Amino acid sequence: MRDIRFSKVFRIGFAGLAVFFCACGSEIESEGREEHPLPEGVDVVERPPGVAGDIFTGTSAGTPATFNPLVAEDATSSDAIQRLLSGLTRFDPVKDEVVPSLAESWEISEDGRSFTFHLRRGVRWSDGEPFTADDVIFTFDAIYDERYPNRMQMEFSVGGEPFEVEKIDDYTVRITTAEIYAPFLLYIGTAILPKHKLYEAYENGTLLRAWTISTASRTPREIVGTGPFRIRSFRPAQRMIYEPNPHYWRADQEGRRLPYVDFFIERFVQDQNATMVAFASGQSDHQAITPDQVAWIRRNAELHDYTVSDRGPSTSTSFIWFNQNPGSNENGTPFVEPHKLKWFTDQRFRQAISYGIDRQGLIDGVIFGRGEPLWSSISPANRQWHNPDVKQYPYDPERARELLEAAGFERRADGNLYDAEGNRVTFSIITNEDNRLRANMATVFMENMKDLGIEVRLRLLDFSNFVNRIMESFNYEAGLLGFTGGRDPHGGMSIYSSGGRLHVWHPNQPEPATDWEARIDELMQMQLRTLDEDERREYFNEVQRIMSEQMPLIYLITPNIYEGLRNRWNNIDPPNMGSLIWNLDEIWAEKRLLR
Amino acid sequence: MRTVIARRLLALIPMLLGITFLAMLLMSLAPGDFLDQVRMQRDADPDYIERLEREFGLDNPWYVRYFLWLKNVLPWDLRSDFGYSFHYKVDVWELLGQRLPATIILSLTSLTFAWIIAIPLGVLAAIYKDSIFDRVSSILAYAALSIPEFFLALLALFFAARTGLFPLGGFTSTEYEFMSPIRRLFDIAHHLVLPTIVVGIGSIASIMRIMRANFIDNIRSEYVTTARAKGVPEGIVMFRHVFRNAINPLITAAGFAFSTVLSGALMVEIVMNYPGIGHLVFHALLQQDQFVVLGALVMGSTMLIMGNLLADLLLAWNDPRIRYD
Repeated sequence: MRDIRFSKVFRIGFAGLAVFFCACGSEIESEGREEHPLPEGVDVVERPPGVAGDIFTGTSAGTPATFNPLVAEDATSSDAIQRLLSGLTRFDPVKDEVVPSLAESWEISEDGRSFTFHLRRGVRWSDGEPFTADDVIFTFDAIYDERYPNRMQMEFSVGGEPFEVEKIDDYTVRITTAEIYAPFLLYIGTAILPKHKLYEAYENGTLLRAWTISTASRTPREIVGTGPFRIRSFRPAQRMIYEPNPHYWRADQEGRRLPYVDFFIERFVQDQNATMVAFASGQSDHQAITPDQVAWIRRNAELHDYTVSDRGPSTSTSFIWFNQNPGSNENGTPFVEPHKLKWFTDQRFRQAISYGIDRQGLIDGVIFGRGEPLWSSISPANRQWHNPDVKQYPYDPERARELLEAAGFERRADGNLYDAEGNRVTFSIITNEDNRLRANMATVFMENMKDLGIEVRLRLLDFSNFVNRIMESFNYEAGLLGFTGGRDPHGGMSIYSSGGRLHVWHPNQPEPATDWEARIDELMQMQLRTLDEDERREYFNEVQRIMSEQMPLIYLITPNIYEGLRNRWNNIDPPNMGSLIWNLDEIWAEKRLLR
Repeated sequence: MRTVIARRLLALIPMLLGITFLAMLLMSLAPGDFLDQVRMQRDADPDYIERLEREFGLDNPWYVRYFLWLKNVLPWDLRSDFGYSFHYKVDVWELLGQRLPATIILSLTSLTFAWIIAIPLGVLAAIYKDSIFDRVSSILAYAALSIPEFFLALLALFFAARTGLFPLGGFTSTEYEFMSPIRRLFDIAHHLVLPTIVVGIGSIASIMRIMRANFIDNIRSEYVTTARAKGVPEGIVMFRHVFRNAINPLITAAGFAFSTVLSGALMVEIVMNYPGIGHLVFHALLQQDQFVVLGALVMGSTMLIMGNLLADLLLAWNDPRIRYD
């Protein structure tokens, strides 16, 4: 009896405390928007008009590191910058093409090297200053400036030559490339910077230290953009609140300025798991979900009125490769023991390994059947560039044994595989320990190899050590790695070309070591020098075919992507690649949610 | 007194040099550097990586980097530059300063919480030595000491999730920005309850045990017998005489506690998603963002020395027998 009473007192006490502290039931109220006339060159969206208001909440595993596009290296920062700044062009993932953004239209010259951009008239920065060609010129000056190393310097040059950027008049800019540059329109959509805000920092050499997280937390209005949002407040490691940019240049058919939402709130949490827990407990509106978490998150779908959709294969790849680097370290010791190098450089050996991998088993065992086998360097998610007609290696241990025999290997009575010189076939494989998926795939791979009589040892390394081995000391035999896929094949230049840093099986070759590598080099150059998409695809399909025949990278699987979204959002137009909420400025909520 | 303070502050210099030198050495022994993440990106140009290496000084050996850092830190022109974070491109002090308030608040509340609970419990356990209360409180104290902080933090989160009485980690709620100043204060207090208890519980046990042991020692001493013989009331014996003597070691302990004010409760901050210094330094260490780590170390060790100094001064104030000459 006494116990019960005690717990009751206890509970009431706590509840009282809680009410005292939070006075719950509060809802964030719209603060009313600044009204400004729409610009002359307003972009009227095609999707049906909606109702303004409501809050969109997201969760992210990690805080933005910077709001300066010249500095941003991580996805969280780039995503934030995209909401704040616009570029000349942008990529529409539903139409799968480059569409106008700050530039209303453009013309391409006869020789395919010169692009004349006509800027939208009357567009203003979020502080009300007019946007003109001077801002575009300033952005490119900043990108090419020697004092400010940034990754765009490479993207915006062809054959080592920077683009020539000239102002024709206040609303016209011409950009000329030294040679034809295939991904030009895709890349040129980089964020345009406001000259009136950043010129001073540019002049006194501190541009890379402008627009940091301190700027955002102390003076958020200093970060001025042409994107759908501006920063209302930013608290590192806690949250960021975006509010609509009152000068945004897009509107719906009823003439209402976008975006519809009153606030976009992004909460920063510790890791990916915490983001998914937040979504499944109704604390956020949208979340990317990993295959292993889908089942339990779906269980809450009705309670919190959301849907978890299967978005098909992801763009990320995973592969195993052998170290084919014939060099030696400074002590004269070869990176790879000579007899092993002989196996690794033998195409039949690599193909046999590929036939020996049970990819469906990997999918079932590692990601609960939620994925697809991968045969090419480009995942099937990238419909534009994926070549479905590459050589495939369905699980076939018999075929693997035949190939190994043909290559002079022999399975002895002890069940182990030996090469022609009598060396037992064993090798070690390295991967980074912080990626659980890779470690699990490596374990399944080891089992598959045992069936072929090959002993594989797994070594899990910390990330830095792993990078050092595959890129500097080359002291390893095989590795397991993955890349997240970019959209354009040009992004993979460093992987495919023999002189590339990430040509991992034998990087930084001065001259291509094999004929097929020479051919890939040639094709990659050819695809870069034409603006004809079909012609590019033909070249790049051949690259994928050669890769699949030679198997320098033995592709494994790609997990499917899952995304959860509250049902109340409208104007959702799922693209075949990329996030569901790519058009955040156009989405609106059906009814206000009672919290 | 002044010489003591001066001597302590002078002793800070070789110590800070030693600590930072060692830290730099250890960080350079770990494989790789800050740019590893960039190196693994497929569209990063080799020239760009090389330029970043030069920009960050990562092309120099570690001792050269250390002396370059030292040269900037020493206040030649009356200002020291502790460098900037590679990751955030923000001055190290500014970055630490952003996270400082949250950590200081949590440390102060948890220290206060621990002292308020532990000292009376320790005194009672000593006065009623070997009673049921004493036994139960020591069992609980040992139990509290042996539960790892991160586990307690998980339990606290579980409690919050099940009952909904407290927020699931963090420092402020989403609506914080839209609240009146008074509501903001309550909001922070509401968020502080669980982390304060989690961080405080570990110290309650140890403070209580120290307090009990000292109190018992002092009760047995001769001056207590004398005072009792004089007919001084028991309450005055206990609280005016015994208590003041027994609390001395705890003042020293408080000095150490002050140093942990800044290093913070790393595990708790991470589990409860609390935006403090520990959170920041942990990620800086993983990313090898060197200057942030060095800056945090300098700050932490300075606080340790200052805390001890403060404790010694308090000790002299509390106990007239202690003199520093």
